[in-house]
Amino acid sequence: MDAAVEIEGVFQHVAGRCALDGVTLGVARGEWLLLIGPNGAGKTLLTRLILGLDAPSAGTVRVLGRTLSGLGAGAMGRWRGEVGAVLQGGSLLAGLTVLDNLLLPLRGTGATRAEMARAARLAVTQLQLEGLEGERPRGLSLGQRRRVELARALIHRPSLLVWDGLTEGLGPAGVRETLDLLRQQHANRGLTLIATDNRPAELLASGARVAVLDRGRLLFDGSPAALEQAAAGRLELRYVLAGHP
Amino acid sequence: MRGSYAEGTQPLCRGPSGWLEELGLAWLTLVSCLGLYLRILGGRDHLDVPAFAAALRQTGLSVLPATTLVALALGLILASQAESVFEDLDLPRLPVLAIGVKVVLELVPILVGILVAGRAGVALAVRQAGLTVSGEMDGLIVSGIDPVRFTLGPVLLAMLLMSFALTVWIGLTTCGALATWLWARVGVPPALFVEALQQSVDLADLFEGLAKPLIFAVAIALIASVCGLAAGRDPDGLGRAATRTVIGAVTAILLTDLVFVLLR
Repeated sequence: MDAAVEIEGVFQHVAGRCALDGVTLGVARGEWLLLIGPNGAGKTLLTRLILGLDAPSAGTVRVLGRTLSGLGAGAMGRWRGEVGAVLQGGSLLAGLTVLDNLLLPLRGTGATRAEMARAARLAVTQLQLEGLEGERPRGLSLGQRRRVELARALIHRPSLLVWDGLTEGLGPAGVRETLDLLRQQHANRGLTLIATDNRPAELLASGARVAVLDRGRLLFDGSPAALEQAAAGRLELRYVLAGHP
Repeated sequence: MRGSYAEGTQPLCRGPSGWLEELGLAWLTLVSCLGLYLRILGGRDHLDVPAFAAALRQTGLSVLPATTLVALALGLILASQAESVFEDLDLPRLPVLAIGVKVVLELVPILVGILVAGRAGVALAVRQAGLTVSGEMDGLIVSGIDPVRFTLGPVLLAMLLMSFALTVWIGLTTCGALATWLWARVGVPPALFVEALQQSVDLADLFEGLAKPLIFAVAIALIASVCGLAAGRDPDGLGRAATRTVIGAVTAILLTDLVFVLLR
């Protein structure tokens, strides 16, 4: 398997509590993984490790062929150019306009003004952000802010997208449209996607591989069909699939 | 800090290992900031001008009335003390004036440091902590942007410029108030004050008096930056970062001044 993400025996302690308990998980290049689980399952912690925002207490995290803990500043900067992220709770800069937020990943990459303008136009059109370019994030609805975050995550054409809280701020139609857009990116250039959510019913039809996390432990890893079969005999999986928060 | 792994979005440990971590974070921050300045000088990056202008306003202009008042008060207090010495002890005026000037030269950088720490230092720490709490710091990092470019980079430069300017301003205002009071109340001629200045302050003293605020500014900026980064994602961290910055910066200023005194 040509792996995009390899997580091996990862433990993460937060405030003296074991929040990730020996998680081992792999994602192949071009594959889609839906990471589901109730609130507090450890989904956000795992995505933060994949994005190099936190270091694990133990275990290794390899993303796009690089072990993150061993990367120097320059290599980390280059690595970030291959990864896009939509973070739970939002991460747009309040003091910048939508357009300036969108262009952040292209700053310092050597992109010319014309290239940046072209990329911004495309992102604005794809994510239906026309007319919002000059707005500050505070003036946008939650759904609009999420679309801006997604546009920012995709503007530098990453090969891996990590999306924490897939349905946050998006209604069923918004989720459908967004997944359609990501499918296009997948078809065009094999985008690898890792998305998390705690409302699986709306998403299991997306065809992605599913991993179920609960209280820091990986309960299941397989196809949606296999998950339904497994859930028939496992109460904790049925609990997660019922969408309990 | 660009690209460094796990860039301080989790609170650091307490105790000696926490201090070591914070020292390491301060060092990385300083290196990152110097790297930014070198890139700007080399034309490979640019200064965030709006952030720099805001920092200049915050560090200098917004504290100018308070600093002027403090300088006047300091000058008048010292003058009043000198006046009572002249009246009670009948000492020669030149040595007393020289001691007064020395005291001004020692106190002014400390005062500037404390004022800058209380205004710009706290603002920087709260901004850093606020960026972390709101997720904006993460947004910068995942976008491949060095947070120093938006936070410490422009603020440290503004602090250096304004600390220097405020030291000159407060020094002149304090000496002016001191000399004016003594001239008006005791009849000490301005020429005698100038002579005391010339005799008590040599080039090394002047250099030290002007260099200290710059060193204090670097210490304040690093302490504020580390306290802000180490506050974690907890909203209570904002208040904690502000308090730790003031205490840390004032302690650092006084200890650094003591080192200068001991090295003379």
